[in-house]
Amino acid sequence: MTMKAINDFVAQFNADIPLDESRIVRNRNRYYLLSKKLKQQVPKGFFYAGAYLGAVKGASFFPSFLLLSMIAERKANKLVIDKKTAWLFICGRDIFKKGILHVNGSRKGNYTLILNEHNECLGFGKIMHNLREENDANKVAVKNILDIGDFLRREKRQPRRQQHSSRLQGRDRKPHKPTRK
Amino acid sequence: MSGKEFFVKRYKKLGWTYKQAKPKQAIRINTMNSNRDTVVKRLESLGIVLEKIPFLEDGYWIRKSKFSVGATAEYLLGLYSIQEAAAQIPVTLFTELEDKTVLDACASPGGKTVQLANLMKNRDVIVALELKQRKMFALVNQLERSRVTNTAVYNMDAKEATNLNIEFDCVLLDVPCSGNYVTDKGWFSKRTIEDVKRNARRQRQILTEAVKVTKDGGEIVYATCSLEPEENELNIDWAIGALNVKVEEINCHGEKGLTNVFGKELDRSIEKCRRIWPDQTQGFFVCKLRKQAG
Repeated sequence: MTMKAINDFVAQFNADIPLDESRIVRNRNRYYLLSKKLKQQVPKGFFYAGAYLGAVKGASFFPSFLLLSMIAERKANKLVIDKKTAWLFICGRDIFKKGILHVNGSRKGNYTLILNEHNECLGFGKIMHNLREENDANKVAVKNILDIGDFLRREKRQPRRQQHSSRLQGRDRKPHKPTRK
Repeated sequence: MSGKEFFVKRYKKLGWTYKQAKPKQAIRINTMNSNRDTVVKRLESLGIVLEKIPFLEDGYWIRKSKFSVGATAEYLLGLYSIQEAAAQIPVTLFTELEDKTVLDACASPGGKTVQLANLMKNRDVIVALELKQRKMFALVNQLERSRVTNTAVYNMDAKEATNLNIEFDCVLLDVPCSGNYVTDKGWFSKRTIEDVKRNARRQRQILTEAVKVTKDGGEIVYATCSLEPEENELNIDWAIGALNVKVEEINCHGEKGLTNVFGKELDRSIEKCRRIWPDQTQGFFVCKLRKQAG
């Protein structure tokens, strides 16, 4: 289940990443990639370890930003967006065609990574129409699914005392419904 | 025995005159994720005015910013962390962090854990402990944002670190302390000397456990943001006598540790510790201990 869920998610970007399954550790419904040294040295029972890859709930996989960055280092669906669009994306907004600087992978319905002008991964979204065919610059081109502004939103989402127990709930929110628009 | 007058008198007896201090906000560049100059240029292009902190390699004070430095894309991408200047000192005191197994015994909110990972180039192993479950969220959020991948986090009391069955080369003890009036406006009305003594006892328990899990010859960096000698020099004086440690020379910002506290003569080696009275930074105390063989 582990690798399949991750591989299926990665495949939605027309990408694949070589992950050593023997170093992937499951803790509740969350998956971590441990370095050899971490795997050898740290005992079980950790709360968090190594590179957090994401969480599985039911049939859905909810990726971490580290996993998205790992995909972004490889050949995959990617959009490079301008500075203003990048800021709006981080604020939870969708992407209009006029803000897109460069497209790699443009088929409707696919997932795409969103990169800023420095090629840093800001999150991912769903392509709403074939980007090379659509000419209306003011139409939503990519729907925001997850962006790095989530680091701030997840801290505000719940009262302090409930943060830990709600972390997974926050993570496991429906990926197609960004929390802020 | 509490109140502003009580504590201010104590500081006077220790040779320091109380003054209001308002330290500037500080950041630390995460050089494992980006180049220092590149991050500085990017922040300056956003209109943030930075000032290099003279006693820190990767630290900058925020001289001017029209918006929160905790809400930039660069922050969310883990290119820098917001970390008070004095709090950036302890991690820099370890002699060598590469190829080491490191314990961060009281890790939340994780600023120093990320700094450790940064100096270790995100390699080898850090074990980070945090007792309070509600603080775990901030810790792991910080690690994920900063792209730290060499750390294992446990919801565990530092006083039970031996349960891990790991011997550490380096141990960071940024122990829970009474804090100081600079970072807490109501500090004088909240704290009593009994609080300070209770914290000091707990710190000794953590120190004892830390020495147990440290390899012979290993390093322990002990730090508090308390100005009270019970949690600082007096604890280290006790550790020299009760635990198998010696104080090491350090070269960092701050004044020599006090070797006479309210008339009590302490071990001379305590002057190798550093005490930072509030001024440009918050109040702080730091020292490096080495575990002796046998």
